[in-house]
Amino acid sequence: MAILREPISEPTAVRNYIGGEWVESSGERRDIVNPATGQVIGSVPISTASEFDSAVAAAKDAFWEWRTTPPVTRARYLHKLRALLEENFEELSRVQTQEHGKTIDESRGETRRGIENVEVACGIPTLQMGYNLEDIASGIDEYVIRQPLGVFGIIGPFNFPFMIPLWSAPYAVATGNCVVIKPSSEVPLSQMKIAELVDEAGFPPGVWNVVNGGREVVASMVEHPGIAGVTFVGSTPTAKYIYESCGKSGKRCIAQAGAKNFIIVMQDCNVEKTVPAMMTSFFGNAGQRCLSGANMVVVGDDAFYSDFVDRIVTAARRIVVGYGLDESVQMGPVRDRDKKARIVRYIESGLEEGAKLLLDGRVPQVRGDLPHTCFLGPTIFENVDPQMRIAKEEIFGPVMSIIRARNLDAAIDMANASTFGNGNAIFTSNGAAAREFRYRAVSGNVGINIGIVAPMAFFPFSGMKDSFFGILHTQGQEAVRFFTESKVVIERWL
Amino acid sequence: MITTASAAIGLARRLEEESAGFYQALSKHYPEHAATLAAFASDNRKNVQQIERAYYGVISDALEGCFAFNLDEAAWEIDFSHSSGQSVAQALARAMELEVKIIDFYTLAAQQSKGLMADVPRAFLAIARRHEDRLTKIQRLVGG
Repeated sequence: MAILREPISEPTAVRNYIGGEWVESSGERRDIVNPATGQVIGSVPISTASEFDSAVAAAKDAFWEWRTTPPVTRARYLHKLRALLEENFEELSRVQTQEHGKTIDESRGETRRGIENVEVACGIPTLQMGYNLEDIASGIDEYVIRQPLGVFGIIGPFNFPFMIPLWSAPYAVATGNCVVIKPSSEVPLSQMKIAELVDEAGFPPGVWNVVNGGREVVASMVEHPGIAGVTFVGSTPTAKYIYESCGKSGKRCIAQAGAKNFIIVMQDCNVEKTVPAMMTSFFGNAGQRCLSGANMVVVGDDAFYSDFVDRIVTAARRIVVGYGLDESVQMGPVRDRDKKARIVRYIESGLEEGAKLLLDGRVPQVRGDLPHTCFLGPTIFENVDPQMRIAKEEIFGPVMSIIRARNLDAAIDMANASTFGNGNAIFTSNGAAAREFRYRAVSGNVGINIGIVAPMAFFPFSGMKDSFFGILHTQGQEAVRFFTESKVVIERWL
Repeated sequence: MITTASAAIGLARRLEEESAGFYQALSKHYPEHAATLAAFASDNRKNVQQIERAYYGVISDALEGCFAFNLDEAAWEIDFSHSSGQSVAQALARAMELEVKIIDFYTLAAQQSKGLMADVPRAFLAIARRHEDRLTKIQRLVGG
């Protein structure tokens, strides 16, 4: 099977992109390590607060000219960027695999989803339209204009280094704002590549900025008076901190957080198609997705249960683990050794609390001659009680907890009792059961026979409870509303 | 076994490219059918474009890209070489065998990925039908 060429053949020193220039940081540098091979593929600066200040200043300088640029012209920059992203589709995808570890199919999926957001934002001349009503009283008209606010901060997570900043950035700049993006310091290369294409597309200097770093940059962003709002995707504790901090400093905020997703499997499901859907839901991206399945709740009699679980374990056991640039590989490593150790601790806690381990991924078979530093195999527990830590807390790894429920009501109640509400799903061929689930599920994104409930770019990426802090969401129309202020005009001519 | 969409698309690409090479060689050896055979080779390249467009257009982490297929790679190790000593009838008979094999591949791949990869099985079926049409054309060449 083909091993695809690595686009990053030599270590790359990532720089900040500020005011249309590539700028060295004075901060310390950290290695960027390919989690599959263990190779150092680059280094990233941990920028200082003053470097972040200079990016905000560049963005503020660019703002007025950019916001007065006609939307149709702003859209043309995005069209150009979209074309460049398509031209570089394969390289961008492989970079994601190199820096993150996901399989090439998963990386291409991420690239496609990212580009779709740029495509949607290209429709800004329509999306940003306001509305009006003539004659609210005789001879008096009223209308709404959507205006940009200034400079927005965008904080990206490690699990989707390419796509997630694109849930926000294209809409922010399309509506006339400028952005400062802080990628995850573990996986900064994808955003560096995007910034190179932004530069090539000819965006005016200062419209699109990237500052690499860690907590210092985040703290500066949420407190900075020059920042109008922040979007964030990451863990629940950090999301809470960012949401609270933005509230204190009067900023808008979208904070997308952690998850513990319940996938309910009914006895009347299409078993043949449900099994691969479970594989991708629980083990795709090595379980490092806020939409990954975590708890599989089976509703059915003993015969169905044992047959279905057998099929799941058999399929999971066959999953090929290895380097994502090997086209035969179905699951890559987790991002780093600390994350692996954390997942292993959860597996141990499951054993300590009495769950039965059907498949142990702690010592996986790995295809190819690779260090085992970050690899895990699929892990499956049964006899899981909803009160166990492995059933309640976000593991963010390839671990499936199987829980039985006596009926659909009990399954829905179980899922709704979770503190999270991100991406729950049901697998059934019964329309009434699907409708009941859709109606009652306390989950921002709901799947009917879909294991990864990832909204398309023209729909909002929702979330509830501890999975989301905010009102409006990233992507589509809601992103346009988030990045604009509604100005209401009442007009009469005397 | 081929289980990932990336590998399955790669196999389809290889089959089409090798098939193109086969018909290109035939078109040079059998001038009486050169135009038809060269057109087949050209269609092979269009098929690659259609498959890649379908795959790159819909690949998404919501779909089962790494779990969509279960194809035995060895079963599709097809010999596309052409021996220059063959008569035209022998060469066309070989072409028909190859077309049947390719149709089998696309039909199976479409079946396996049906409902999982959206546009990809549809593209596979469309190309399977195109190879069926080609098979009919070759049968006519043999008969004519």
